[in-house]
Amino acid sequence: MFRTTLKNLAAHKLRLLTTSLAVLLGVAFMAGTLVLTDTIGKTFDGLISDINAGTSVHVRSDVTTENELTSAQRARVDTSLADTIARVDGVQAAEPYVEAYARLVDKEGDAMGNPDLGAPTVGGNWMTTPSLNPTDLVHGREPRAGDEVVIDKASADTAGFRVGDPVQVLTQAGTLDQTVVGIATFAGEDSPGGASYTMFTTEAALANLTQPGKADAIKVAATEGTGDAELAARIADVVPDDLQVLTGAEITAEDQASLRDEMSFFNTFLLVFALIALFVGSFIIYNSFSIIVAQRGKEMALLRAIGASRRQVLGSVLLESVAVGLVASVVGLFAGIGVASVLKALFEAVGVDIPAGSVVVTGNTVLVSMIAGFGVSVASALLPARRASRVPPIAAMRAVATDDSSSSRSRKVIGALLGVSGASALVAGTVGSSGLALVGLGALLVFVATLVLGPVLATPVSWLLGAPLPRLRGMSGTLARQNAMRSPKRTSATAAALMIGVTLVVFISILGASTKASVEASVEESFTGDLVVSSGAVGQAGGLPADLTDAVRRLPEVGAATGLRVAPAEVEGSGQPLYAADVQALQQIVEVDEHAGSFADLGSTRIAVDEQVAEDEGWEVGDAVTVAFADTGEQAFTIAALYEATPTLGQYFVDLSTFEANVADRFDNQVLVAFADSVGVDAGRTAIERVADGYPQAEVQDRAAYAAAQTEQMDMILSLIYALLGLAVLIALLGIANTLALSIFERTRELGLLRAVGMTRSQLRSAVRWEAVIIALLGTALGLGLGTLFGWSMVDGLRDEGLTTLSIPTTQLVVVTVVAALAGTAAAVLPARRASRLDVLGAIVSE
Amino acid sequence: MTATLAHPSPPVTHLAPAARAVGATKVYGHGDTAVAALGGVDVEFHAQRFTAMMGPSGSGKSTLMHSVAGLDTLTSGSVYVGDTDLSSLNDRQLTLLRRDKIGFIFQAFNLVPTLTALENITLPLALAGRRADPAWLELVVGTVGLSNRLSHRPSELSGGQQQRVAVARALASRPEIIFGDEPTGNLDSRTGAEILTFMRRAVEELGQTIVMVTHDPVAASYAQRVVFLADGQIVDEMVEPTPERVLDRLKKFGA
Repeated sequence: MFRTTLKNLAAHKLRLLTTSLAVLLGVAFMAGTLVLTDTIGKTFDGLISDINAGTSVHVRSDVTTENELTSAQRARVDTSLADTIARVDGVQAAEPYVEAYARLVDKEGDAMGNPDLGAPTVGGNWMTTPSLNPTDLVHGREPRAGDEVVIDKASADTAGFRVGDPVQVLTQAGTLDQTVVGIATFAGEDSPGGASYTMFTTEAALANLTQPGKADAIKVAATEGTGDAELAARIADVVPDDLQVLTGAEITAEDQASLRDEMSFFNTFLLVFALIALFVGSFIIYNSFSIIVAQRGKEMALLRAIGASRRQVLGSVLLESVAVGLVASVVGLFAGIGVASVLKALFEAVGVDIPAGSVVVTGNTVLVSMIAGFGVSVASALLPARRASRVPPIAAMRAVATDDSSSSRSRKVIGALLGVSGASALVAGTVGSSGLALVGLGALLVFVATLVLGPVLATPVSWLLGAPLPRLRGMSGTLARQNAMRSPKRTSATAAALMIGVTLVVFISILGASTKASVEASVEESFTGDLVVSSGAVGQAGGLPADLTDAVRRLPEVGAATGLRVAPAEVEGSGQPLYAADVQALQQIVEVDEHAGSFADLGSTRIAVDEQVAEDEGWEVGDAVTVAFADTGEQAFTIAALYEATPTLGQYFVDLSTFEANVADRFDNQVLVAFADSVGVDAGRTAIERVADGYPQAEVQDRAAYAAAQTEQMDMILSLIYALLGLAVLIALLGIANTLALSIFERTRELGLLRAVGMTRSQLRSAVRWEAVIIALLGTALGLGLGTLFGWSMVDGLRDEGLTTLSIPTTQLVVVTVVAALAGTAAAVLPARRASRLDVLGAIVSE
Repeated sequence: MTATLAHPSPPVTHLAPAARAVGATKVYGHGDTAVAALGGVDVEFHAQRFTAMMGPSGSGKSTLMHSVAGLDTLTSGSVYVGDTDLSSLNDRQLTLLRRDKIGFIFQAFNLVPTLTALENITLPLALAGRRADPAWLELVVGTVGLSNRLSHRPSELSGGQQQRVAVARALASRPEIIFGDEPTGNLDSRTGAEILTFMRRAVEELGQTIVMVTHDPVAASYAQRVVFLADGQIVDEMVEPTPERVLDRLKKFGA
């Protein structure tokens, strides 16, 4: 029995390969993801531990502010602490440590790097104690004066900076004119994990990057013979209780863990797509094995008739699936290493730079790939194998029968029940307030219902989709349509694989388009100013220095201008971005929709809250709330106004003076501008651009450009998702090719007959091609339907989260359909060629 | 009975051959293992006549028919359908020749399962993008008695009905010549007789030309002329055959 299976496999090597390919691609993607994240992880682990190697003790504040957008903000410590610590026995040196936003400007005057999407642009202080300084100077010397900096070698190479060159650095203190005095590497790397790094003297760093007298931490080097833990304990005794004293090993482990934590999102994001690919692949395996088992029914029955047990027949089919799994997991694992570099390139293409050292393949990656490859292959073949084992021995005497059966009554009943309950859940979810969970459940039920009803739908939908074919393509068209309709189970399982990918693409594009439309509508509504000067930065990734805002405000063409700032804060214990602007100016520029109270009442210790948030929390004007800041700790605030949140105003808002009293950073995220009366748009814009020219990171945007900029990042994420879903679609196309190839094998005599009575090769190719197109369009049609339904329900369910506008990107959906039809044609190329090269005489005379 | 040899078939020179083979040779394999299926056969199939080809297994009768029908190629020699030399045609030209000038009736699996009886009958015409001549189609369908079965699929027809559809298809495009490969081989004798009667009527009443390979003396007796092959050569022929005479002639092969 075992030998029979092996002979069978040997006889169908090509089939083994094409069937395996469906799972192999999913495994390769999964392995690639793991290899990439492990490689990045190991690179950073090594870098972090090298950089911290000389640090014996790290002292920092205990106070942090949690936030949804960025990592926790930690309060700063007094630099005088360094002197206190230096006096502790066993301390060789103690130095303040600064790490904050600083961005280099290249020789063309453009700001370097992309801190929003790529690696950070960091500035810090040059540590004078060699063991605390993680860098090695490759050119020049350390900074000695306030206008001298050392920069990382990668930035120097990119922009062509040499020792002695003048360089501009963007900081919260403004654009600084500095001189490059040294170029350094980090633990042998040209840059610390892709980040750009600018090092000032400690004094200049404190003055320009943070605030005088405040550093991010104190780093301590121990004297020889003093243990880190021992020294940490001694230091803890002399510093205030609200400080944390960590050993070098502890800070290294924490930095590594927090990086792993950030990477785990990235890892999960990619693994979702790997799982989708494997899910699609399982359809292909199931379908291929169903067809193979049906074609070999007679052979199986013969084996049963001559004494093979059911278990042996079951085993022989499963053994074949194990072979498929073996090819899929082993080849997939090796292909995964290639996929890792493709993924890296893909992320770089959308602007996310990923540093990576030599490739890391862990035991975990090998294990997961094996489980995925074998698991999906064997599990998907289980049902067909069981069907094979149930072939009665008497079937050996009957003619070969393929499974052209129509759908059972129970399938229709179960499918209809699932569909109805899913649709009800969707409707309930969109009507009710706590809708999202219901929408999710409804979507899942409707999806399963579509899979169950697939064979019921396949025949009528194929009939409909193929309706124009007989007139367009004559007999080839008629045959294509009839062939697509003849095995509804096969056709629907093949189409389902494509349906999954199309559903997700359509769902994502509707969600994306609706989000964009909602953001744009809300910008249109709230942005009543004339222009915005934007830093292109989000949150803590830097911004515009306040002197730009002052310069703009002083222009005669400008009627009102205010900087808009954002910082993380904890409101009643929950981390939130807190927005701030000069309220007086703001009211002349932007229309604020006040539901209760007034923005005019915003003063110190007063806060305005989004009306929706207030309703959920049960807050009203006059209520007291606690707001915690990283720099000033917990403060008592009173709610002065309730308003409707917009992308410009956020959900929590304070006056600029209140903000400055509690937040040390002095960046304006953007500057909102209204022109003076009778100043034309062009004149106003020209005047502002002249000022903004002095600030490399500043971008002058009108309303449309501003709205587009708000959604720019989303466009990139959407393209990334489409590219990743492309894999699922590719696997589905392999499925179409595989099904067609198996069907053609099964129809050898019929094709021989057609060729004998006068069907030309090109007519036969055309028939195969159009059959593929019908199957592809069937999958696409179902996917369009499901994706639109899910997208609509989701947007409706997220109404309260600000998704106010449903937008169906019609052009995009038409493109999806056309591409699917063309892809169907591509999938048919090889099967069609095979069909047309059929040996006519051999096909018709063979018994 | 040696009447056939003593009294050769009456001259039919007033009828042009619908198809002919000249020195048709087919060799399988090469060198020491070469086997000649056809050893230089010359034969003419006259228009508007019903010819049967008989011979033991391996006599070359099927190879000869497949070659003349444009399904197989010769090692040397030529076959002509009308004035067309088949050896000069490429695959596409051969396909179009089969579609437009030749009709086929196979032993089994004659019909495309996804098409109705009528669609099967008009299949070669549909492949050519032509419409059937309605009067002719009605005559053909009526002759084989299928008028009330036209919308049925092959799976809904009996074996005999399926073969009648095949005969109707072979006739529908009014081909120059129709080839039958054991067309009644899978049928019981009564149904077979019915099909053979239709074929004979197609020749006599509709002026068609049929060449049929068979091993059944009764089937052969429906033809107007029988050609006997053995070892890749034409060894004999007989006009106006009867089952008894054919059987007697076949017995000689066994001797």
